[in-house]
Amino acid sequence: MTPIEQTESIGLKRKLNRVSFKNFLTTQGILIVFMICLAGFSIFSDRFLSEENIMTVIRQASIVGIIAIGVTVVIIGGNLDLSVGSMLSFATVLVVDLHDKIGPTNAIIVMFAMTLLIGAVNGFLIGYMKLNSLIVTLAMLSAIQGITLIYTGGQNVDIANQDSTWFAFFGRGFVGGIAVPILMFAVLALCVHFVMRYTSYGRRIFAIGGNPTAAVYAGIRKSRCVFSTYMISAFSVGCAALVLGSRVMGSQNNVGQGYELLVLAGIILGGTSLMGGAGSVWKTVIGVLILGFIQNGLLLLGYPYYTQWLVTWVIIIVAVWLDLANQRKRLFTSHS
Amino acid sequence: MFSKIALSVAVASVMAFNVASAETVRIGITQNNVGVDSYQTTYEKAFIEAANADENVEVVVLDAGGDVARQIGQMQDLIQQRVDAIIIWPTNGQAVIPAVRQAKSAGIPVIVTNSKIADAGMEFIAAFSGPDNIRQGAYSAEMMCDALDNKGQIVQVAGQPGYTTAIERAKGFEDRLAEACPEVKILETQPGDWNREKAQRTMENFLTKYDRIDGVYAGDDNMGVGALNAAKAAKRDGIIFIGATNFAVGYEAMERGEYYGSVYQSPVDDARAALQTALDVLDGKDVPKLNYFDTPKITRDTLSQFDKPVF
Repeated sequence: MTPIEQTESIGLKRKLNRVSFKNFLTTQGILIVFMICLAGFSIFSDRFLSEENIMTVIRQASIVGIIAIGVTVVIIGGNLDLSVGSMLSFATVLVVDLHDKIGPTNAIIVMFAMTLLIGAVNGFLIGYMKLNSLIVTLAMLSAIQGITLIYTGGQNVDIANQDSTWFAFFGRGFVGGIAVPILMFAVLALCVHFVMRYTSYGRRIFAIGGNPTAAVYAGIRKSRCVFSTYMISAFSVGCAALVLGSRVMGSQNNVGQGYELLVLAGIILGGTSLMGGAGSVWKTVIGVLILGFIQNGLLLLGYPYYTQWLVTWVIIIVAVWLDLANQRKRLFTSHS
Repeated sequence: MFSKIALSVAVASVMAFNVASAETVRIGITQNNVGVDSYQTTYEKAFIEAANADENVEVVVLDAGGDVARQIGQMQDLIQQRVDAIIIWPTNGQAVIPAVRQAKSAGIPVIVTNSKIADAGMEFIAAFSGPDNIRQGAYSAEMMCDALDNKGQIVQVAGQPGYTTAIERAKGFEDRLAEACPEVKILETQPGDWNREKAQRTMENFLTKYDRIDGVYAGDDNMGVGALNAAKAAKRDGIIFIGATNFAVGYEAMERGEYYGSVYQSPVDDARAALQTALDVLDGKDVPKLNYFDTPKITRDTLSQFDKPVF
């Protein structure tokens, strides 16, 4: 637990003695909502809690999840990354297009190199040039979309012999009965969770997100840290592009469109604060899974998929509200 | 004497102007969103090629980038430039109507291409040229009936909600299916947003939800192949896949025997038809309001009669 979280929870414990129910609601509200949803879905659909369906949901959620892990690090460091959606489009188009031209191994290397290059541009502009991350990554969102369109000339890209390439492993393979996307999601989550929680590097990221001035006075090289968070985020996009490209065996220019919002939704839902300095990879994993189960549950109940957007965002607003309520120790603001 | 010369110069210049305008016509086109997908990109290429092939035609090619406001601005620019005719690929069938009306009152005929504009705007256009999406949906329904021997249960992966093409194809399919083989039931319809990955996810959920799916109708082959991917991954054999707008990936899947059929719609034909309709209107021919170019059925059996789509 970080020092910041620790002080918060000490405050909470004092409060807990007096208003325990309200406190329980504010701290665990999202889990309660999740449980109610799960129970509701499983009453109306006997498929919902089947092993097959649970595996399908986690597999579908793993692309968003892999990216969300990287973006969580950026957000803990006090910045935003809105460019991940178009970066995903670019990386997927690149790896699929190059697959038949220079072979899978080279395609993957080039794709990671280019994706990390974009991450480095983000990191340079935000970390070293001290530009606002919202503006930089919003600009990169359009710029990378433009580059992708120029690269493909608007055409779709496909892999010709889908059934005879080992590239299929990333999106379609299984190891020990578990789908590879799920394994990649789990391994990445564990690694980043470990780094953020148990290494001095992780603590530095928390420090610059929580109080940048104090962090600099404490001798942390802020620019370099911020730069590195964008490299992590770019790497996670590269991993997600492997899964997505291999799963579909083709790509459209706008395949990643909207992923930046899904990723943010998962992170916010998990409870990582957009203010920086607090949160965890573990929370993000929970948030992304909640998102996946809600979307799947609504589909199984036969609702048209736009109801998912509505329900998802209502839940997010509630989650943000509970988060705020938790911070100011009451559900509603006083009229001051 | 002087006035006679002046008069003859004037007459000559008017005649020269007339001759010139009879020789070359200027046609402006404002497209929906070139570069966003293969179809629209190929369309633009084919349109420019067709126009270059005819030395009497000069074209002003614009693209709205999917933005309604920009398209309205482009319409006004074309009216200002006094082009002879305007071809529009509407970004939104409702919102462009005022701009189309403005062109008509400026005496410039408007030809709508590919996607229709709303009924309220039909009186302001000279003609529509494009695919008949309702008929395409009906074709897919007929193929589905044949493939399933008039009996079974299917799911539908539709295009993006709100798109005229998506709505018309779904309607054509559902109406014809109910008429031609009422014993084939649609279990559920969900949108796939013209996106292969989205369609794949939707199909995965269908496969979890329904133990028996005999057929899938997808609003285009791009989504159809996504659904096929999902079924192959889940090892669910024997499902009939039928799409529309035959893509290269759909064509290849038909070659492999995994995909049953589709509707062959060429962006090249679409572009040529739009230009020809505009020229016919300018020639004063009696052009019908709705001009549909031919979009035949294509199945595994008739595959060899068609070239592989370039997109």
